[in-house]
Amino acid sequence: MTKFQRFLFKRLAVSILLTLVAVSIIFVVLRLLPGSPFEALVTSGNLNQEQIDEIRAMYGLDQSIGAQYVNYLTSLLTFQFGYSILRSQPVWDVLEPRLINSLILLVPALVTTAILSSALGMYAGWNRGSGLEKGSIISTTLLRSTPVFITAIFFIIVFAYNLEVVPALGMRSIRATPDGYLETFVSLDFLHHYVLPFTVAVLYYSGDFLLLARNGVVEKRGSEFLKLHRAKGLSEMEQLARAGRNSMLPILTYFTLRLGMIFQGLILLEVVFSWPGIGRELVLAIQQQDYPLVQAAVFIMALAVIIANLLADVLYAYFDPTVSTNGGSSA
Amino acid sequence: MSTETKPEAELYERVDALWTIVRDQFAFLRRDPLAFAGMVVVAAFVFLGLFGPFLAPHDPIEYTVRGDANSVLRLSAPSADAFLGTTAYGKDVLSQFLAGARPTLIVGLFGGLGTGALGFAIGVVSGYYGGWVDEVLMRLTDLTFSLPFMPMALLLLTFMTPNIWLITAIIVVFLWKMPARVVRSEVLSVRERTFVRSARASGASNLRTMLYHVAPNVLPIGFLYTAYGVAWAIAAQASLAFLGFGDPTMTSWGRMLRQVFESGNMRVAWWWVLPPALGIAAITTSVFLIGRAYEEVINPEIQTDQ
Repeated sequence: MTKFQRFLFKRLAVSILLTLVAVSIIFVVLRLLPGSPFEALVTSGNLNQEQIDEIRAMYGLDQSIGAQYVNYLTSLLTFQFGYSILRSQPVWDVLEPRLINSLILLVPALVTTAILSSALGMYAGWNRGSGLEKGSIISTTLLRSTPVFITAIFFIIVFAYNLEVVPALGMRSIRATPDGYLETFVSLDFLHHYVLPFTVAVLYYSGDFLLLARNGVVEKRGSEFLKLHRAKGLSEMEQLARAGRNSMLPILTYFTLRLGMIFQGLILLEVVFSWPGIGRELVLAIQQQDYPLVQAAVFIMALAVIIANLLADVLYAYFDPTVSTNGGSSA
Repeated sequence: MSTETKPEAELYERVDALWTIVRDQFAFLRRDPLAFAGMVVVAAFVFLGLFGPFLAPHDPIEYTVRGDANSVLRLSAPSADAFLGTTAYGKDVLSQFLAGARPTLIVGLFGGLGTGALGFAIGVVSGYYGGWVDEVLMRLTDLTFSLPFMPMALLLLTFMTPNIWLITAIIVVFLWKMPARVVRSEVLSVRERTFVRSARASGASNLRTMLYHVAPNVLPIGFLYTAYGVAWAIAAQASLAFLGFGDPTMTSWGRMLRQVFESGNMRVAWWWVLPPALGIAAITTSVFLIGRAYEEVINPEIQTDQ
């Protein structure tokens, strides 16, 4: 085995272990929750003890905690999420469209902002001390440090309430009854609802990319290889392109990490815009104590982050020859 | 070593040196106008957090503003009776705003300090010892990365009654990983430097080497992430309160925004939205601006030219 393969193998084993631990923590936390979603049914008095036992057995709640844990592990890891208690639908049928809704909002936003703000950040870093640099840093600092729901509220007040150019809530107008993803997403009505949350998401993500790109270029500016390029007679923009290419690695890994976190949705953004995404669904499920839905949603989110982490580490180790591949235990 | 004969003088010297370091660290505030402006906002915010509840003209929750003929003033625009108008429940917005700064300050301050301190300690230990200690601690940071913060916090807050100390603790438990990682990687490079090696060679214990030789050299980055921690904690607290998982006994800015959002009055009641929204935006941005100016000072690679 080469050194890189060994690193890959170890990293993979760690990720699997992490998944198991994360899943177990979710299980413990959920079992700590008081009451059960059936309490409302039971206290309503419409069920006799037999029926209650039957329902509990149906959801496996009559077994010992150890047996429940084993069941839980095997079903989660084989992606059998069970039935949502409140929506009486398979959990995956509830989550899948919500997850798609989140991804369709956030993936394009992340890609857009990664390209635009990295380019802007590199340009700003190259022109250090200019008005553009200062202005872009102040505005992105404002946008990334302000909690996203506040930015969203401001945008709604300005563009939806006062200028009335876009609707404030939802993903489609109430009267729309689209069938299937294609009909849902390919329509002017959708676009109309999409613009505002998309813009807020782009602005919210922009700060980190801009600063990473800017710092990267600032660090490269004095370095030897750029002196060579200048001596060769390359124009300013061509030099910037070389400097920028050399500061791509942190941006790439950061992008990968962010991509993993997108599976969490942007809970607050979705709540403010009533966007039917996975984050908003999770908040609703928590409020209504819908355990199967909650555990499936949190599992998907954790898994996405673990995979993205793995990917980022491997990318870094693969592309950056100065990174030691033995896990960083020595400097 | 001659210092062993006069432990007290030695101690004073160390405290003095540490104080000089801290003072020098803050010198950047005088040079960077943005950081200075941020400092002014932070000072105003701390003042509000300490004295806001006493300055509030009315009780933020109990008192109901009444107009002529003793009718409750609901959703009234700013007037002489209520300088910042009233809420849909007839409460005084100004009083809520003034009183609402305190939980934000408490969670921000202690959440940030806790995040910085815990992350710093773990980062130093992890980086200094390396080996299996490092392995275990870093996998622990991976674990907190993989458990999504917001959903886990919401879950924990559904079975424990939310109060500000619990919220502070949850924030620290989830955020210490950020400073820990950065501090650790700094320690990795400091650890191999000659002065650390000579300290070890002259018989200093691990604890002594860590405290006196390694830690002071990574302190600036610890400060930086403490500042960021404050901003993250404030944002997290406001977000939790906005989702309805805040301390139910206290008025906070996040809770004000929740109420105006839930009651569907965002369209009309700008006087109800703006004070808490601007308050949160101003304080988090200020803390970040200070942190960023400080980062320019301590990051030698960014300092290179200019």
